[in-house]
Amino acid sequence: MELLIVQKRKSQMNKLTLALLFFCIMNIISSCSPKNISTSYYYQHEKVLDKIEESYKSLSQQSPFTVAFTDKKFNTVSLEIITDTLSYIYEFDVNESRLTDTLNRFRLNAPKIIELIRQMQSIRCTWINNYNYYVDEKKNSLIFMSIKPVALNSLFSYKKFYTLTYFPQPQYFDSEGRLLDKRKIRRLRKINGEIFKRINNKVCYTISGNFR
Amino acid sequence: MFLTCLLFWQVSLGNTPPSKKQIIDTLKTSTQQQALAFLNEINDLQPSKIWPNIKPAKFLQNLKTTIYNPISIYPGNGTNFCGYGAITYLFLLDDPLGYTKLLLQLYREGKAVFGATRFDPSQAVKKQAGLLRYKGILDIRPAEQMWYLTLADHFKGYLNFFNGKYDPDDEDKFWASVNYAKFNRMVRKLLRYNVKARGADLIRPRVGDQYKYISERMKTGTVVLFINNRIVHKKNHVRIKLGVPTHFIVAEKISLENDLITLVYWDYGAKTQLQLSPAFIKRIIFGITYCTKKKIADE
Repeated sequence: MELLIVQKRKSQMNKLTLALLFFCIMNIISSCSPKNISTSYYYQHEKVLDKIEESYKSLSQQSPFTVAFTDKKFNTVSLEIITDTLSYIYEFDVNESRLTDTLNRFRLNAPKIIELIRQMQSIRCTWINNYNYYVDEKKNSLIFMSIKPVALNSLFSYKKFYTLTYFPQPQYFDSEGRLLDKRKIRRLRKINGEIFKRINNKVCYTISGNFR
Repeated sequence: MFLTCLLFWQVSLGNTPPSKKQIIDTLKTSTQQQALAFLNEINDLQPSKIWPNIKPAKFLQNLKTTIYNPISIYPGNGTNFCGYGAITYLFLLDDPLGYTKLLLQLYREGKAVFGATRFDPSQAVKKQAGLLRYKGILDIRPAEQMWYLTLADHFKGYLNFFNGKYDPDDEDKFWASVNYAKFNRMVRKLLRYNVKARGADLIRPRVGDQYKYISERMKTGTVVLFINNRIVHKKNHVRIKLGVPTHFIVAEKISLENDLITLVYWDYGAKTQLQLSPAFIKRIIFGITYCTKKKIADE
């Protein structure tokens, strides 16, 4: 009889352990899921993200350029410098002196751009550029920024990027918070083939497999 | 041989030897001035019922922009139109008047003949031209939209086998894809060029020293490269990338210094300069298309 009771308790313990294990795994998966990150990431890092955006906006107005981190360790930076006649693409190690030399050669604001690159590296921002789009045949421009948050790199998450768009003026959204083309035309606006969702009137996000 | 004779003739006349550009200019099928003059005479282009979403004024404006600044042609963000873009760029450099007349005929009649090619785009394409959105500046270029959609609708390769008929958004899908053989076929059919192609969709060209091969050919003709753009313009941090070509670029300049190749190329509305190691360039190039101008006797 005692043996039976012991066996029953053991079986209950095993079930409890399994349930706990299942709960833990589900917790890890859900805490790392892109959906969870997308709702909170911007507000958690709002100051630094906005600072990067403002800094890039001001610097790229002086002379257009784009920045990309092309490796997983965020040590290699790809810089595209856009002039009237030619776009120049260079790849540097972040600490390489050639980076500063090149920026100086193009008469760009080297200290500020290097500061921007460091900020991007600190928050694992993989890509920033000016993205042109057209509404009623008029050219508009937004800042397109992709980040690889640590959680999106975890074992249980997709290998995805968190992408933000900063519009210069308030945008229109549907009831599900999806970015619309215009107020009257209830068509979803796609940027880089992706549908974006509202964070606030001017900032939207999406989760994408590509950073650009 | 023809170029050599031309050079000899110029030198024998006591002039300074002409540059490559001067030689190419003399061999052009038509000029930018001829095309612009032809366009400026058109005052009565009527709205087309065949292309319901293309307004004549915008169409003409787009043609003028294209002729005036061929570098600016833009096959669109996220589309599979890069091969058609490269063809169009070569077309505009060689025969802007031919391009203008062909597009005008297509707009007015809904079909057009160019050389041995008879374009008769589908209804779906006619309906969609002018409506492509979120493709960058292509959004406001209806003539280019019409042309790229017509090319993709007309020329087919094995990549288009499972998606042969156009549906909205197919410009981003296999419907618009261009494999290497199809690209070379399009150049042969549309342009007055002799074409020598080396390489294939999955096999890199066996030409020995690629830098030497490309730079030698660029002295006497135009070179289009079929490259794996996923490695050049990384879009993610995946280490193992599929070794397949995805993009067509037109080589403009190439030089070698300190074992580093500097390549200037045209794609997507601009010229870009890139520095690459010889090993890297060998890794990314899958096709080298060498185009030389056809002599009248060849045609």
